[in-house]
Amino acid sequence: MKTKKPTRTELLLTVMRILAWVAFIGFMLEAGAILVSYGVSCVNPEAAKNLYEGMDLYTLKQFSFAHYTLYVFLIFVLLIMKSFVWYLVIGTLSKINLANPFKMEVAQMLEKISYRLFAIWLVAIASSAHTAWLVKITGEHHGDWASGESIFMAGLVFIISQVFKRGVEIQSENDLTV
Amino acid sequence: MAITVNLDVMMAKRKMSLNELSEKVDLTLANLSILKTGKAKAIRFSTLESICKALDCQPGDLLEYSRQ
Repeated sequence: MKTKKPTRTELLLTVMRILAWVAFIGFMLEAGAILVSYGVSCVNPEAAKNLYEGMDLYTLKQFSFAHYTLYVFLIFVLLIMKSFVWYLVIGTLSKINLANPFKMEVAQMLEKISYRLFAIWLVAIASSAHTAWLVKITGEHHGDWASGESIFMAGLVFIISQVFKRGVEIQSENDLTV
Repeated sequence: MAITVNLDVMMAKRKMSLNELSEKVDLTLANLSILKTGKAKAIRFSTLESICKALDCQPGDLLEYSRQ
């Protein structure tokens, strides 16, 4: 029997699903590495000199352990939240059936992703404010991990989820047309 | 909905079963059931035409508008 050749969209979605898995695992590994490095730096202060990929927080740790912990905690939370968003993307992609794509659960997942992106933006603002304050106090820049584009992404995904919801309504009307 | 489908009334008048109508109008039992129970959101002119033909009636005999 001849097998059906996947369409371009099906192929793209499969590739996106693989990429989403890679991103999810990547962020989880990054978060794990930072957490382990932080744990080590609590015992061995020298470890703070290269916490993750050359990130030197030794002076910050010397300045205040509480601020050092908060700085690392905010980075960790951001990474975990980003990996969770990718996990939701994997869930959404696995729920999409191209023969009948407009499902309420997919629309709800998209809405959920937009809310999580908005939450990431809030944490990013907190992290940026903390970093800016540290620069002012210590005079040293430790690198800014937070980025503001997640608010743009959140808005975009939210709009897509609302359009998707209308698609669900139209599809259900179409299904109930005899 | 303000539009009521009187398919069951017309079927009873013509003494026709759902299976029989399904065969005559070439519509699945599931779709006819959606229409009969008033769950349908829309009806195609072609479907209406074939039901009217099978039941020998007018669209007005099948559809009724009531102010709610």
